[in-house]
Amino acid sequence: MTRFMLLHDLRLALRSMRHTPVLTALTAGAIACGIAAAMIALTLYHARSGNPIWWKSDQLFAVTLDNRGPPGPQDQFQRHPEYPPFLVTYRDAKALSQSNIPTRSVMMYRSVGIIEPGKPGLKPFSASIRMTTADFFQMFDVPFLFGSGWTRSADDGPDPVIVLGRQLNDKLFAGANSVGKLVTLHGRQFRVVGVIDNWMPVPKFYDLPLNSFGVPEDLYMPFGWTTALQMPNAGIVSCVTPTAKVGSFNELLTQDCVWLEYWVEMPRVAQRQRFQTFVDNYVRDQKQYGRFVRPLNNRIVNVSTWLAMNDVIGEESRLQVALAGLFLAVCILNTLGLMLAKFLSGAPVTGLRRALGASRRDIVRQHLTEVVVVGIFGGLCGLLLSSLGLWAIRTLTYNSAFDNSAERLALAQALSHMDVTMLLLAALVSVVAGVLAGIYPAWRIGRMQPALFLKSQ
Amino acid sequence: MEIKALLKALWRSRTGPVLIAVQIAIALAVLVNIAYVVAGRIEVYRRPTGIDIDNIFWVMSQGFGKDYDQASAVRSDLAYLNGLPGVIAAAASLSLPQTFSGYGLPFSTTPGVQPARVGGRIMLMTDRGLDALGLHLIAGRAPHADATTAPPDPMSAIGRWAPEVAVTQLLATKLFPKGDALGKTIYTGLINKAAKIVGIVERMQAAPAGGPAADFTESVVFVPGMPPGPTALYLVRTQPGRRAEAMAQVEKSLADRVPGRFIARMQTLTETASETRSGLKSSSIILGVVALLVLAVTAIGIFGLAAFNVTTRTRQIGTRRAIGARRRHILRYFLIENWLVSTAGVLVGCVLALGLGAELSVMFQLPRLPLYYLAFGVVVLWLIGLGATLYPARRAASVAPAIATRTV
Repeated sequence: MTRFMLLHDLRLALRSMRHTPVLTALTAGAIACGIAAAMIALTLYHARSGNPIWWKSDQLFAVTLDNRGPPGPQDQFQRHPEYPPFLVTYRDAKALSQSNIPTRSVMMYRSVGIIEPGKPGLKPFSASIRMTTADFFQMFDVPFLFGSGWTRSADDGPDPVIVLGRQLNDKLFAGANSVGKLVTLHGRQFRVVGVIDNWMPVPKFYDLPLNSFGVPEDLYMPFGWTTALQMPNAGIVSCVTPTAKVGSFNELLTQDCVWLEYWVEMPRVAQRQRFQTFVDNYVRDQKQYGRFVRPLNNRIVNVSTWLAMNDVIGEESRLQVALAGLFLAVCILNTLGLMLAKFLSGAPVTGLRRALGASRRDIVRQHLTEVVVVGIFGGLCGLLLSSLGLWAIRTLTYNSAFDNSAERLALAQALSHMDVTMLLLAALVSVVAGVLAGIYPAWRIGRMQPALFLKSQ
Repeated sequence: MEIKALLKALWRSRTGPVLIAVQIAIALAVLVNIAYVVAGRIEVYRRPTGIDIDNIFWVMSQGFGKDYDQASAVRSDLAYLNGLPGVIAAAASLSLPQTFSGYGLPFSTTPGVQPARVGGRIMLMTDRGLDALGLHLIAGRAPHADATTAPPDPMSAIGRWAPEVAVTQLLATKLFPKGDALGKTIYTGLINKAAKIVGIVERMQAAPAGGPAADFTESVVFVPGMPPGPTALYLVRTQPGRRAEAMAQVEKSLADRVPGRFIARMQTLTETASETRSGLKSSSIILGVVALLVLAVTAIGIFGLAAFNVTTRTRQIGTRRAIGARRRHILRYFLIENWLVSTAGVLVGCVLALGLGAELSVMFQLPRLPLYYLAFGVVVLWLIGLGATLYPARRAASVAPAIATRTV
C-alpha cells in the first residue's frame, strides 16, 4: 500500500516536473549551486583542518620555552604575544634531550644539500634535508618501504647514514631497494639505511608555521651532522632577545636565537607532569644566568592544540566556509520561493484532488516527494559541480613551479579530494536543503481550502 | 494612490516577497564584502614594485665540487654577465626579490637597545645591485664594499655588514621623519652593527603585500657584499626586448665557465613575480565567482517570483486593462512592486553588510568597509531586480483585455 503510494507520488512529482521544465531546472540549479559552493568550502576546510596523526595526537607534544627578552613594543607585531616562540634554541634543545622522562624525543630542522649522483645523464642537484635525531621515524609512525631508521648512537657518531624519501629513491635508484647503497652528499659518502614509503601528513604538523602545507623532505640525516658539516638552516631563525646576534654558524648554536623544532612522545599522564616540572626547573635554573626573563611560560602542547596555536586553518578558509554558508542560505530561500510559486500555480489541480477525496496528508506528502526528488537531482548536479570546482581550484592554485610536478600533484590531491565522509555530508546537506526549502510550501499548499481553488481564478 | 493598492496586494501574499527581500539582503552583504576584499587584493597585485621586472631574469648557480671557490666564481661570472651584449647590469644577491623568502633585521637611529625599532628587509648584493634591479636612486649614490672573499653561510654574510648602505625612502622617512636621512648613521639590532646611509632609493617592494605587511616589505636596506657559497644567485637586467637573447646565451655558456658547479635554475623575474601572486589571483577568482553565482541565483529568484505573480494575476491584469489601464501602467505596476521589495531587501542588506564587514576587517586587518561600496552594491541589486522583472512585467503588459471575460 505504502509502496504503491510512494510510486504514485513519484509519478505525480515527475509529471509535475515535466510540466514546468524551466522552473524545475531553475530550482534544481539553485540547489546545485548552493551545494557545490558549500561542498567546495567544506572540503578545503576539512583538508586543512585535518589532524594527520589523530591516533597519537594526545601522546605527541611540541615543546616551547619562553626565552624572549623583556616585553616591549615588538610584542604587538605578534598575533598571539602570549605564546612562547614556536621553536627552541640549540642549547635548550640539547639540555631538554638530557631528560629521559619522555618515551621518545626529537630535535630537528630543515636543511638543504647538494647530491652528486655520479651517474651519467644525472647532474648534481639540491635536495631538501630533515636534520633529525633517531626517534623521528617511530615517533611519527613513518612508513618504511625498505630498511628502517638509524639508531640513537648514530646521532652522536655521527654515523654516515641517511634515510631517503620515496621520490628521491625513485630518482637515484629507479625505485629499487637501495639499503646499503652509497649516496654522495656534500662531497661525502652516506650509506642508505632506509627508504620511506609514500608519506604526506597534511598539514605538515611537525614543521609549523613555515611549511604548513609543504611536502616532506627528500632525505633524512642524523642530527649530529649539524655541527660536523655546518648544515645550513633552511627554515626560520628568530633572535628573541635584544642582545642576541647571529653573525656566524657558531653564534647560531650559542645565542638566544630559536630555530629548532622539539617534540616529545609521552603516552602516560604521569610522564607529562614530570616532564613539565623538569622543563620548568630547567628554565628556573637558567634564570640565574640572566636568561628567561619573563614569567614561567613553557607550553608543552599536543598535536591538536599545536595546530590551533599555529592558526593552520587560516582566515581565508573560514571566510570561504562563511560565504558558502550564506550562499547556501540564499539558494535554499530561492528554492523555497520558487517551489511555493510552483505549488500555488498548480493549486487548481490540487483542489480537484482534494475535492475527489485526497486528504491533507496525501497532498503534503505528494508535494514533499516532489521537493525531495528535485533536491536529490540538484544534489547530484551539485556534487558534479563541486568536483569541477575543486579541479579548477587545484589547477589554479597549485601551479607554483618551485615544486616539481609529482610532489605538487600529491599535495594538491591531499588538499582537494573528496573522501567518504565528505560524500555522506554532501548527501546529508542536499537532503536537508531540499527538505528545508520544501517543507513550508508543501505545508502551505496542504492547508489551502479546496473550495478556493475550484472556483475560477 | 497606486502605491497604496500595491502595498496592500503585496501584504496579501507576503511570503514570496519576504523571501526575495531576505535573499537580496544576503546577496548585498556578500557582494559588497567580496568586492571590498577583492579590490584590496587587486591593489596588492598591481602595487608598483619599483623594480624593472620585465627586463630582469635570474640564474642560480650551485657549487658542489671541492675545487669550487665562491668568490672567484662570482667575480668571473659577474664579469662575464656584465659583458654580455644587451645586458645593462648584473649582480649577485643573497635573496630573490618578489618572493616571500628573505632576511629582516630591526633598525634604529641610536646604538644599543631601542624601544622603538623599525623592521627592514635586507638586500645583500654585490656592487651593481641597484642597477641590476633597475631601482630609482633619488639621492646619494649606490653603496660599495670591497668583496674579495665569500662568507661561508648567510649568517656570516649578514654578520660582515658593510659600513655603508642604501635604504628605501619609506624606511628613511620612518627612521628620520624630518627627511634628512642621507649621511646619517643607522644601527641594527640582533647583530649590533652600524652603517652610514649613502643613498636613498625611491621604492622597492621585496615581496607583494598590502596593509601593514607592505610597510615591512617595502622598507628595504641595501647592503653591499658578497653572498655566501656554494649557491650564487645572479640578477641580470637587460635592455628592453633583449632578455630572451641574453638568457639563451647564459643557458648555453655560463655553467662550464667555472668547474664544480651546475646551473640549478633560471627564470624571468616576470614569471617569478606572477608565481608569487598566483595565490592572490586564484583566491580573488574564487571569491568573484561566488559573488557572481550569488547574484545569478538572486536574479533567478526574482524572475521566478515575478513570473509567478504575473501568471496568477492574468485575469486581474486583463480586468485592469479592460477598465482603461494602459500597457505602461501594468508594466510600471510590476516594476514598482519589485522595486519596493528590492529596496526593503537592500535596506536590511546594508545592515548585514556592515556587520559582516566589521567581522572581516578584524579578520584581515582591513580598514572599515567604505560606504561607497554599499552604494555600489545597492545600485547593482536594484539593476538586477529591474532586469529580472522586466521580462515577466512585459509579458504582463501584453495580456489582452479580452482575457477578463474568459474563465481559466
